[in-house]
Amino acid sequence: MADLLSTSVSGLLAFQEALDTTSQNVANVDTTGYSVETTNLSEAQGQILGNGYVGGGVDVSSITRAYDELLAQQVRSSQASYSSFNTLATQAAQIDNMLSASGTGLTATLQNFVNALQTVANSPSSTAQRQALLSDAQALTQQLQSYDSQISQADAGVESQISTSVTQINTLASNIATLNQQIAANTGSGQSPNQLLDQRDADIDQLSQYVNVNTVADSNGAMDVFIGNGQPLVLGDNAQQLTTTPDPYDASDLNIALVGSGGSTADITSEISGGTLGGLLAAKSQVLDPAQNAVGLISVGIASIVNQQQQSGMDLTGAQGQAMFSVGAVETLPDANNTGSAALTVTRTNLSALTSDDYQLQYTGSAWQLTDATTGQAVAMTGTGTSADPFQAAGLSISVTGTPASGDSYLIRPTAGATAGLAVQLTNPAQIAAASLIQTAAGTDNTGTATVSAAGVTDPGTWVAGNYTISFTSPTAYQVLNSADAVVASGTYASGTPIAFNGAQVTLSGTPAAGDTFTVSPNSQANSGDNSNMFAMIDALSGSALDGGTTSLSSAANNLVSQVGVVTQQAQANASAQQTVNQSAVDARSSVSGVNLDEEAANLLQYQQAYQACAQMIQTSGTVFNSLITAITDGNTA
Amino acid sequence: MRISTVGFQNDALAQMQALDADIAQTQSELSTGLQLQNAADNPSGMAQVNELNVQLSASQQYVTNGQAATANMTLEEQALTQATTLLQSAQSLAVQANNTSLSSSERQNIAAQLQQQLQQLVGIANSTDSNGNYLFGGYASSAQPFAQSGNSVSYSGADAVDQIQISADQRISGGDTGASVFMNIPAGNGTFTTAAGSSNTGSASIDAGSVTNAAAWVPDTYSITFTSPTQYQVTNSADAVVASGTYSSPGTIAFDGVQVTVSGTPASGDTFSVAPAGTASAFSSLSSLVTTLNSTTLNQGQLTTQINGALEQIGSAITNIDDVQASVGARLDAISSSQSTSQSEQTDLQTSISQLSDVDYAAAVTQLNTEEVSLQAAQESYASLSKLSLFNYLS
Repeated sequence: MADLLSTSVSGLLAFQEALDTTSQNVANVDTTGYSVETTNLSEAQGQILGNGYVGGGVDVSSITRAYDELLAQQVRSSQASYSSFNTLATQAAQIDNMLSASGTGLTATLQNFVNALQTVANSPSSTAQRQALLSDAQALTQQLQSYDSQISQADAGVESQISTSVTQINTLASNIATLNQQIAANTGSGQSPNQLLDQRDADIDQLSQYVNVNTVADSNGAMDVFIGNGQPLVLGDNAQQLTTTPDPYDASDLNIALVGSGGSTADITSEISGGTLGGLLAAKSQVLDPAQNAVGLISVGIASIVNQQQQSGMDLTGAQGQAMFSVGAVETLPDANNTGSAALTVTRTNLSALTSDDYQLQYTGSAWQLTDATTGQAVAMTGTGTSADPFQAAGLSISVTGTPASGDSYLIRPTAGATAGLAVQLTNPAQIAAASLIQTAAGTDNTGTATVSAAGVTDPGTWVAGNYTISFTSPTAYQVLNSADAVVASGTYASGTPIAFNGAQVTLSGTPAAGDTFTVSPNSQANSGDNSNMFAMIDALSGSALDGGTTSLSSAANNLVSQVGVVTQQAQANASAQQTVNQSAVDARSSVSGVNLDEEAANLLQYQQAYQACAQMIQTSGTVFNSLITAITDGNTA
Repeated sequence: MRISTVGFQNDALAQMQALDADIAQTQSELSTGLQLQNAADNPSGMAQVNELNVQLSASQQYVTNGQAATANMTLEEQALTQATTLLQSAQSLAVQANNTSLSSSERQNIAAQLQQQLQQLVGIANSTDSNGNYLFGGYASSAQPFAQSGNSVSYSGADAVDQIQISADQRISGGDTGASVFMNIPAGNGTFTTAAGSSNTGSASIDAGSVTNAAAWVPDTYSITFTSPTQYQVTNSADAVVASGTYSSPGTIAFDGVQVTVSGTPASGDTFSVAPAGTASAFSSLSSLVTTLNSTTLNQGQLTTQINGALEQIGSAITNIDDVQASVGARLDAISSSQSTSQSEQTDLQTSISQLSDVDYAAAVTQLNTEEVSLQAAQESYASLSKLSLFNYLS
């Protein structure tokens, strides 16, 4: 019945509900994910009377939340980008800080080692200077190892954060699926379950911190969630679970996989992008792994140059020098899924061809194929892979024993484990080989003007200790005879051009006469003041020994610093840019969905007044009714 | 645009946090004095600073190397000066001894003095540096290089010396071997030696001779034989006569591009030999002079010839030491010039490093002030704006 009283009561009830909504808005002014709600009023159905429709008051048609799906998606995508770059920047900055420590950088420590070699050269028989050199070698080793272990720790930290992130993503996925179910059940009433929707949006927002998220709304109100490059995480009320699986090559390395039916897993590591998870994976592939490999290459460089030169020299006891450094071997990691019985033996053979990349060696069923795992490019190999004729590629020698199965593959990491095994092997300062392994003398009856300007063993592996005579058959032709008078080398003489034989090199300058001789013999312990091998070592360490003879150890150390610096700088710049983008997306969303207290205060006033007016109407209806009653009573009494 | 209450608060907070971060960065630059703290601040700049620091460290090492070498070569120079003084005094003793009026006992006195000097010279040649290493041992610097046995002195050091790096591309010898200083001195006049026959009976002597035409000189052992006191002939080792002539004292005899002067009166059958020069040591020159002066069997001609020869030899030894000394001086000059180059290079390097990595205080302080003003403004405006609310007016 449409009448004054019921119309006013409908107003009272409606405005009470509107005031409730306002108080809900005010109460949730600081609630994350809360979308401002509005009480939507509509005119109640009227009643036809003879002379027209009489209004039936007011109805609350719905309470809706202010929400824009597009703005929400912008917030999520910028959040995922920001988290990704910020995580990368945080990880990279750790390595950057480590490498940039001023005055104690790797280049400085390397130069200290070279300076210590110079100091030994100044006073080759001084034990104190030799001891100082060993200390500097120790300091160099410790610095490289501290880099390596800090990178390994950062790597372990990244792995554990990946596990944590995966757990968080799984929790959020379950929550979202549950909310989907509840929302679908409650949407049937025709009213939107605002609180559940807000909660689901907040969960999806949170998910976007961990990984890039895309959403697709279902007709029943459920929201399907896809992560990374389109991997389904939540479909309706069904949440897929993510898990971490050990890398088939390296069990300490975690991959990310989707758990399928029956517990099977599908690796989606390469599909993951954005969010903390994307940032952590990027930190591994862009900073941690390359830095560890680069530090390893420097360790290999130092060890092989110094060791080679040590073995080309004579120590204070008169013995041939021994290796100063030990260094970790090449890591050869078989795929856990290999079915064949092949085993690889991989050694480093050529420092200048060695790279800091990782390689994958795969058996195709008929042949072995080597791929640079870092660049993805095929690498040509020479040799047949037997131990007599090993494969040669990228500065490595690879020999295969056993029978491989088709599809078997191996990850070869030439430098990753090198630094961990770096250690100074010499304990006695007398073992530093400052002197050359050989000594030379001009024949006493020489009549020419030629003199020895440099002599030394250049390849200790092929050096055959013994007495040799370089004999000139004419001023331009020489032959080198061993102690049995057999010719081991001969050639045309040019002043200043080294004469090489059996791993040794002798450089003469001047003009010899026919019949002149020079003898080359093992050095004697008496020549403890010989420092020529120290200079050979200094030259070898300062030379461009890496990257095909284009990069010195010091440049390699410096390149590492600037490469990590560039990645960090870019990640920081991107993080800062994405933070701004995210901030403005959040602002845009909150301008639609956020609570404005002034607005609520105005609403409060408005609804309060309306409520008061309705109450007044009820009072008025009472007055009207009273008037009628009074009139009737008066009429009766009159 | 509608602004939500939380959005306003968050924006204000974010702005203040950004300003806080800027201020922290500027403050850290000011307190460390470094604007380049991490490679991420300026990757190429950091690489440059590292490279410059390596050069600086190397340059400092070269100065240290130069100082060590200077210390040793100064000691070497002193030893060489002593050796020269000693040999000069031996030279004047030899001149004294070359007087026909001296008695054999007077000559023996001089021989005794020379004997002393020989020992002193061996002492000088066995000088050590501050670390006890022998200056003239070459590579074999830890063992005494010269050993004296009677009047003969032998060298057991090495034939090569250490190099010292004094700049990025300069390595110099840090010393000289005993062989090159004292042992390998050209004998005679450098081309040939002369001697009087041991059975000569005349009083004639021969000088050290000289080369007049190096191209015509045929190295060989020649004999000058006096067939009579006024007639001579020169034969080579194949007994072929290469020259002959008439002699009157003092007479110059020339053959095969060389000439020698014979003075005094030879007896018939007296011979003099001319042979290609080998090498002699400063010690053997002194010790043979001692032997000559102690001899009682030599006649005047033989005596004069041998003393003349010894004088020539000692002169050659002095010249040789002078040459070594000049080369030491040149190397010391090279060290001091490379040190001053290194020092100015170090100043340049430090300036470059400072330009790349040090903070510009004026700019940084100005920036800090600007940032402070911004932060203060942000804080004040936030404090006053956040108080505004319509609820304040509802009663």
